[in-house]
Amino acid sequence: MLIQIAWRNLLASPINLIIGGLILAGTFLFVVVGGLLDSLNDAMARSVVGSVAGHIQLYSSKSKDELALYGGMGGDQDLSAVTEFPRIKQTLEQLDNVKEVVPMGSSGALITAGNIVDVTLERLRNLYKAREGQLDDPRLRDLSREELDARITATRRHVRQIIRVLEADQKKAQAILQAEAIDPEVVAAVERVSKDAFWHDFEKDTWGSLEFLENKIAPQVTDAQLMFLRYLGTDLDRFQESFDRMQIVDGTKVPKGQRGFLIAKLMYEDQMKLKNARRLDKLKDARANGRLIATDDELKRFVKENRAQTRDLVLQLDDLKTAEATKRLQGYLQSTEGDLTALLSAFFDTTDANLEDRHRFFYEQLAPLVELYRVRIGDTLTIKAFSKGGAIQAVNVRVYGTFAFTGLEKSPLAGGTSLMDLMSFRDLYGYLTADKKEELAQLQRDTGARAVNRENAEDALFGEGNTVVAEATPGIIDEDKTFTGAGRRLREDDLVKRVYTEAEINGGVVLNAAVMLKDASRLSETLATINATASAQQLEIKAVSWQQASGILGQVINFFRGVLILAVLFIFGIAMVIINNAMMMATIQRTQTIGTMRAIGAQRSLILTMVLTESGVLGMIFGGVGILLGSAAMAWLHAKGIPAPNDVAYFFFSGPRLLPELSTTNLVVALVIIFLVTLLSTLFPAVIATRISPLRAMQADE
Amino acid sequence: MRTLILAVLFLTARSAAAMEKPELVKLLAEIDDRQRNGGDYKALVYLEQKEKDKADVVREVLVYRRDADDKLMLLFSKPKSEEGKGILRLDKNLWTYDPGTGKWDRTTERERIGGTNTRRSDFDESRLAEEFEPSFGGEEKLGKFETVLLELKVKEGFDVAYPVQKLWVDKANHNILKRQEFALSGKLARTSYYPKWQKLFSQSKNAELWFPGEIRIFDEIEKSNSTLVLFKAVDLNALDQNMFTKAWLESKSR
Repeated sequence: MLIQIAWRNLLASPINLIIGGLILAGTFLFVVVGGLLDSLNDAMARSVVGSVAGHIQLYSSKSKDELALYGGMGGDQDLSAVTEFPRIKQTLEQLDNVKEVVPMGSSGALITAGNIVDVTLERLRNLYKAREGQLDDPRLRDLSREELDARITATRRHVRQIIRVLEADQKKAQAILQAEAIDPEVVAAVERVSKDAFWHDFEKDTWGSLEFLENKIAPQVTDAQLMFLRYLGTDLDRFQESFDRMQIVDGTKVPKGQRGFLIAKLMYEDQMKLKNARRLDKLKDARANGRLIATDDELKRFVKENRAQTRDLVLQLDDLKTAEATKRLQGYLQSTEGDLTALLSAFFDTTDANLEDRHRFFYEQLAPLVELYRVRIGDTLTIKAFSKGGAIQAVNVRVYGTFAFTGLEKSPLAGGTSLMDLMSFRDLYGYLTADKKEELAQLQRDTGARAVNRENAEDALFGEGNTVVAEATPGIIDEDKTFTGAGRRLREDDLVKRVYTEAEINGGVVLNAAVMLKDASRLSETLATINATASAQQLEIKAVSWQQASGILGQVINFFRGVLILAVLFIFGIAMVIINNAMMMATIQRTQTIGTMRAIGAQRSLILTMVLTESGVLGMIFGGVGILLGSAAMAWLHAKGIPAPNDVAYFFFSGPRLLPELSTTNLVVALVIIFLVTLLSTLFPAVIATRISPLRAMQADE
Repeated sequence: MRTLILAVLFLTARSAAAMEKPELVKLLAEIDDRQRNGGDYKALVYLEQKEKDKADVVREVLVYRRDADDKLMLLFSKPKSEEGKGILRLDKNLWTYDPGTGKWDRTTERERIGGTNTRRSDFDESRLAEEFEPSFGGEEKLGKFETVLLELKVKEGFDVAYPVQKLWVDKANHNILKRQEFALSGKLARTSYYPKWQKLFSQSKNAELWFPGEIRIFDEIEKSNSTLVLFKAVDLNALDQNMFTKAWLESKSR
């Protein structure tokens, strides 16, 4: 009966529709946005856990900063080295839910490959050194004298072609610049090396000729590019087993236990590929996504840059390849233009109509003549980085291939870090072992220099009692006695081929480690167990969840969740005020009815239950509709998927599309919220209604 | 008495004002010339870098100079991990070499040497008159020493680590006692002290060669960092003719 009364009253007042609408909107919002955020959280967890963090991260408890895998507010964090990794790994892998502990350490380096002339001259120098038996390079070792001669001839031709390009540049500069703006020394240098006589006599003083080119000609070309390379040093075998989304794209994985480098595919494409080719790829991708060169400013810029910046390409070609490229372009463009730069500029004038065909022509006809990537698979990459102590350390690593994480191929966050073996990482990190520390301390003791503070330096150095001038005794410095041969270059081949045991890989310092769990749903419990074990066994490590280890990135979802809660609170807060006022008005309007009901024997509890039931039915009907609409919207979104709007969103969506899932928890929470909101907002009017006396109802009638 | 004070003040002011540009250029040239050797030069140098919360960086490096040809080479000898690393100046090119990788890299004047706060110019022949325009900054007392303060600005076309410098030059014997180096923005980067100057008779120059026995560099950006440079020995015997080449430096670690 009460429900019938409630239903009749619900339909009687239009204000109920407004109240119901608010409840519906709030519930819909909560179900849909809450579901989206949950799905985003899950997707991001898959991205972070599956690409670098694992479920839990470990780092030294002595570290000054907190671990932030994707960088903190102040750049790289200051993490102390974990020196007892084998004991930590052994202890934690015995815990119930721990599947694997993978050692890590990350850092970054600026790679300066030099300009195209530097690179070509270095190649020529190495070829001559190999011919003289001064270089034991595994890539050149098996070549016969004739093969080396042939390579030397080809490389010399390439250098001469570069000089021709420089000479042409110089002539153009002389035509447009004032005489004083041109350095006569540079003009003379280019003139000297462009003559046949220089090349005829080249091998009379090979090293002198090379140094002339390196010091006088190479600085004239300013195309050297700086590449920032972020890398993660890890046990590559364990990493690939534990992070199963990682896939080799080009080349092979690093052989088990060996040194090596895997470049993140996205980084390889963005930073190491010939810029003209990369822009053509981007134009093609954009066209496939429906963007038009004719109307899109970014695509117009790509075309403009491709037309203007052809120098990298031109300088890569020797005379034979220049002639071949010119011939092919003349044929394609139906042109009689003889200048390759002009032909390339015309070729790169791509439009929506010709892009597809020019992209095909470029890869079929021009790409085979050039090096598309600055670093090729199989090359040795020299990485120079600042060590822990601030000095520069360098290592040579062989590039075995490129890799990407499935679904995150376009994500700059997942595709911005390359992988390096842990032994090379440690060489770059420059951790001071006890032996090295003692060597430095001995050097300091032998020198016996006194310490001088900045504050009193002037008094200490120039105050009374100090004399500045002294007669020196001539010294005899015999460097042959000074050098022990410790700096002898380690044979690249030995390092490349050496297979390190698991004990050697785990044995040195690491900066952090990823813990993979058997059951990810028990993360919090396992985290607490690891921290308790670390404390009890004095492992001097701190364990944090993947979310905490992600730094600011891990807090993004929490931020949006906070915004959602505030929005829902705001909507339901307004709903509560409106429901309260509406119910008060409705109660006053129904004074006579309620008075009459009281007069014929209705108890106060009946009146209270009646009013609460009315608002309960209102809430449940409109809230229910909100939940149903929200569920339908989620089902639609799940079926259709939300495409990632940009490359950054790939990471948050864990792939090209987010497929939101309806969360049961959100439905239950939505129902609880509706119940509480309607109860709280109706309670006061309901109590007022119970206080209406029959006498007052009759007086109101009179 | 009053007359005497006025006379002293007048003379002091006159002497301060008397340092006109030609005199300043002459002073710079003299500073350069005293440190320039006619023939070859080799020094064994100790470097020590102190930074807050970090282990000290300690190095020993051999410095080779052939001032007549503007050539310079640094070759690290200690610790073992640094042995064979080198820096070579050829014309306007500054090269670094690492025997661990066998690679030569072009570098800049701003590159720190061996992880310390030193630059190429701290070891090279002094070229103040060639590279800088001086102006007179007054006279100051530095401890017990009377000094002339010179303000220097780099001339157009020269690539130096610090384009603006202040020099406190000992009035008595024209040695630099203190140097402050500034970025182009005017921000002070380093303050260096030269508390020991040593002289050695050079046969090739047929005159005395001066060199700083000790340089103390205080980092003005990271205030807790400082560097000590000690010239442990200087050898003026002739060097190999082909020494300032990439091939020679490579051969030391082959």
